This record gives sequence, C-alpha cells and structure tokens, in this order.
Amino acid sequence: MLQLRFENVRRRFGRLTVLTGVSGGVGPGEMLAITGPNGSGKSTLMRCLAGLLAPDAGTIEYQEEDQPLDAASRRRRVGVVAPDLAFYSEMTVGENLDFFARLRRTSPERGLAVLDRLQLPLDRMAGALSSGMRQRLRWGWALLHAPRLLLLDEPFQNFDAPGERIARELLAEHLAAGGAAVVANPSPLEFGNVAGRLDLGR
Amino acid sequence: MWRDASTWAAEALAVFAKEWRCEFRTRYALNTLALFAFTTLVVVSVSLGPIGVSLSQGTAVLPVLLWVILLFSAAAGLPRAFVQEEETQTAIALRLAATPSALFCGKLLYCLTLTAALELLVTPVYLAMTNLNVKSPGLLVAVLAAGGYGLAAGSTLVAAIIAQARSKGTLFSVLAFPVLLPLILIAVELTRGAVAGDPGGVALPQLLLYDAVVTIAGLMLFPAVWNP
Amino acid sequence: MKRALAWLLWLWMAAVIAGAFLYAPLAKGFIGQSSRILFFHVPMAWVSFVAFIAAGIWSARFLFLGRRPEHDRAAAAAVELGLLFGVLATVTGALWARVMWGAYWNWDPRQTSIVVALLFYGAYLALRSSLEDRDQRARLSAAYAVLGLAVAPFLFFVMPRIMFSLHPQSVINAQGKVEMESRMVQVLLAGSAGATALFFWIHNLQCRLTALSDRKSALEE
Repeated sequence: MLQLRFENVRRRFGRLTVLTGVSGGVGPGEMLAITGPNGSGKSTLMRCLAGLLAPDAGTIEYQEEDQPLDAASRRRRVGVVAPDLAFYSEMTVGENLDFFARLRRTSPERGLAVLDRLQLPLDRMAGALSSGMRQRLRWGWALLHAPRLLLLDEPFQNFDAPGERIARELLAEHLAAGGAAVVANPSPLEFGNVAGRLDLGR
Repeated sequence: MWRDASTWAAEALAVFAKEWRCEFRTRYALNTLALFAFTTLVVVSVSLGPIGVSLSQGTAVLPVLLWVILLFSAAAGLPRAFVQEEETQTAIALRLAATPSALFCGKLLYCLTLTAALELLVTPVYLAMTNLNVKSPGLLVAVLAAGGYGLAAGSTLVAAIIAQARSKGTLFSVLAFPVLLPLILIAVELTRGAVAGDPGGVALPQLLLYDAVVTIAGLMLFPAVWNP
Repeated sequence: MKRALAWLLWLWMAAVIAGAFLYAPLAKGFIGQSSRILFFHVPMAWVSFVAFIAAGIWSARFLFLGRRPEHDRAAAAAVELGLLFGVLATVTGALWARVMWGAYWNWDPRQTSIVVALLFYGAYLALRSSLEDRDQRARLSAAYAVLGLAVAPFLFFVMPRIMFSLHPQSVINAQGKVEMESRMVQVLLAGSAGATALFFWIHNLQCRLTALSDRKSALEE
C-alpha cells in the first residue's frame, strides 16, 4: 500500500526556524492540502518531503506496495511540480523530456502524452517558453515516470484557465487511480477528496 | 528516436550526450577554454621571446609553464559543469531524476573530453611556439593523458563541492589547487623527463595511482556531496 | 581525574622543554645551538600531520557512519588546530632554515608538503565559512576533508621521494638505524608524544565549546 507519513518535522535556516514540528500523511487516493501565507514554510516542507532538504529533526516515512523506501529512493519515485524547477534552455521541450526519460530509465511517452494534452509544442526551445508554458512542461516532467506520489508546490501558478482545467483533471485522474498527492498553495484550493489540511499560517 | 535506456551506463551516457549537445549549441566552455589557454600561451611565449631560452633552461622551465597553462585553463573552464546546473536551477530536476553515480560519471566523461580537447589544442602550439624539442614523445603523450585525467577527475569533484556555495569562482581555485598540486608536480617531473629523453621510471605508475585514487574518491563522495 | 591529567601534561611538556635545552646534546653538523629548534619544530610538524589524518577520519565517520554532528565538530576543530600547529611548524622550520642554509625558504619537499597541507586547511575553512546551511556545511566540508585524506599519501610520501631533498635524513630510516644520539631521540619522542596529547586535549575542549555553542543557538530559536 501507498503511504506517506511525516512526524514532527523541524527545519531551521540559521536562526530562523521555518518548520516547527509539523506532522501529517497521505494514503492512496488522498490529497493533503498545505496552506499558509508566504514564508510559512510550505516550500520548505515540500522540499523535505521530496528529499531535497534534510529536516533537522523528525521523520519522513514513505512506502509503496508495503515496501519502505529511503530518502534516495523516495527522491526518484515522487513526481514534483515546484516554482523553481527549471529545464535546459538550450534544448527543446522534446529533448528535455527525452533526456530526463533516459535518466529515469523509462520511455518519454507518458510525458509526451501529458504535454500533448496541455498543448505544449515539443520543438520549442525551453529557454523561449513563457511562464505558463514552463508550468506545462513542469507537469509533463512530473508525470513522466508514472509516480504514485505527487508533491505539488503552487501547481497552477501562471496557468491560464484551460491549462488549469487540464491540470486539475490530471490530478483528479491520478487520485482516482490510487495515487496520493500533497499540494501546497497560499490559499486553499477547492478540491474533491481532501483527506487532510495542514495550515502552516501564523 | 529514442532507445529504451535501462542501464546505468545508458544514464551516464545520456548525461554526457546532454552536456555536449548543450555545449555545441552555446560553445561557451570551449570558447572560454580556448581563449584563456591561448591568451596565456601568448603571454608566456612573448615573455620568453626576447630573453631567448637556452636548452638547459628550456628543459627546466618550459614543462612547468605548459602545466601551469593547462591547470589554469581547466580552472577557468571545467567548474561550469556543476556550477551552471546550480545557477540555472536545473540541478533540482537533476537531483530528483538522476542516479548520483551515473551523473558523476557522465560529468566526469564530459570534463575528460574537454580536457583532452584542451591538451590537443594547447600542446602542439606550445611546443611550436617555444621550439621545445621532445625526445620521448611517447612519454609526453602518456603524461598528458594520465595527468589530464587526474586534472579532470579532481576538478569534477571539487566543482561539485563548490557549486552549492557562494563565491564559487575563487572558491574553486582555493579548493582545487591543493588537491591537484601533487598531480601537477609529478606530471611536471615526467614532462621534464619526456623532453630530456628519460624513460620515466617510477613516477608514471604513481600518476596512474593518483588518477585511480581521485576517481574512487569521487565515486564514493559524490552522492554525499550531491544530495542531502 | 581530568585535572590530574592536565597537570601531568603540563609537567611532561615542562620536562621536554627543559630536556631540549639541558639534557639533549647538540647535533653534529648543525650551527651553534640551532639544533635545539628541532625539539619544537618536529613535534609540531608531527601534530599537524596527525591533525590532517584525524580530520579526514572524523569526516569519513560523519559521512558514512550516521552523520553525527559531533563528528563534524571534531573534524572542524582538528583542522583549526592543524592549521595552528602547521603554521608554527612552518615558521620554526623557516627560522631554522635561515640559520642553517641562509635562506628562509627553498621549497624542498618537506617544506612543500607542509605548505600544501596549510593550503588544504585554509581551503577547508574557507569552504565552511561560505556555507550557511548546517547540513550542507557539514557534508561538503567533510567530503573535501576525505578527498584531502585520499590525496595525503601523495603529498607526504610520494612527492618528497620524487623530488631532491635538502632536508636532513629522517631520524629513523627504513632499516631502523637511528642517526641521532639516543638522548636527542628521547627528547624528540617525548616532545612529540606530549604535543600529540596537547593537541587532543585542546581539541576536546574545542569540541565541547562548539557543542555548547550549537546547543545555545538551537535553544534560542
């Protein structure tokens, strides 16, 4: 079974404690919504969950099919959308996806299918994308390897209405297929099965 | 066209291919390396010109200057392999997608080929400009190969270390030179030997040992350097 | 108990210093009283070498055996002390070289090794001061220290062998023959042992200090 649990996660940057012992979890088909104003630690928590940042204290446990995975495996298994995710500007969208597919040892077709749905042309240079198109590329990249857990930090940022609609569909399909998601956003988003809410606001 | 990339080696090669694809489109590293190397070459050659260099002086001094040029050119051009990933923030995607050891090997291969290109460019021109007559060209090639390898391998790991820090430019030189100094000193001795016609003796295996040690250190340390 | 050991160390070092001037004879071939500096220079160079190795080992333990903060603190303290002892060794060596050969510096292999070791220490500390995040700082400086440890054999052994040496013959060479009078060797070994103990004592104090300071800043938030 799919399960993410984090307990008492703390993280400091210098003298500033950004995460003061937060806990939560998600299971199959569930979505955990993380809200809070800017600077409340949403992105920090997302980075810790993704394995990009080590917490100072607390535990993060993740398992797929009842197999517990360490941070290194979790890092490669999750699908991440984040505002600072960037791609290689000297390569086209298609080449970027192809490169990361090779790294992930998988076929790029899932990512290409998502980009096709989001109507992002593959031959455009990644450096020449508008911010909305970059966000579409991030979604295609995140879903490339069919992740069971999605970590979405401000997932609809810069989207126009059609883009946001399709992305919401993708998220709903992911949850319906038994995947889990953690979504961080400054304001609460109206979603279907919100299994839990974590408000980091002060 | 893509092929199913199901092995570690394919991952490393994908990184290597990506590096060169981006490099060919911008030619940034090659330009930096070539420009720096040639500028330094010209300075060296011009400074030595009016004085003239006797045969004994040449054997003593010129090998040193060659390696100085190579060392400083490498410091100018190689760190980009990791620094650029951090600066353009592509490192985030790389951290989430790549196997660290495969990434390291891909980057190492890229730095090796860059260093080889640097040496191929610089050495013949240097020898011609300084009128240096090398009596054991085979040994010279061996030193350049083994020394160049060590230069690239050491630089790749140090570049990975400093890429996440501030003031990366100066920090790279500060960290890399103590690590590379033993390599440079052994390589200079061997180059002197190559010019003079010595067979090289015991120093070449030690150079290869250095290469092996730095490679193993890189493979062992890179995962800890790259990921938290 | 600790107090007693500290006093013992004080007495030991006092005896070493006295022995350096009163007990040990002058070495042959050295100008005037200048060989006395050996009893200070050699122990400090030795400790600098020990510090280098210790920093590397603590860093390796940090990286591969659990990422414990005390190992990171121990490595950093070892480097700081290694730098101190290394500078002292270099200065005493240069003073002595001036007396013996008329030049403070001639880049013989031992001098080269100690300078490169100092460069390593400086680089390690520069790296640490450029990283604010605790986890990054510990990880990256530990990796650099282990790299230094890996390269150390080339620095301390291979390079000096390849290069011509102006340094006097090693005190104890490969066949185990001792080239110095036994009284000199005694003072030298006693001095080195005392200096090593001194290093670990100061190191222990420094680690405890850093641990307290870390706890203080953790509590402040």
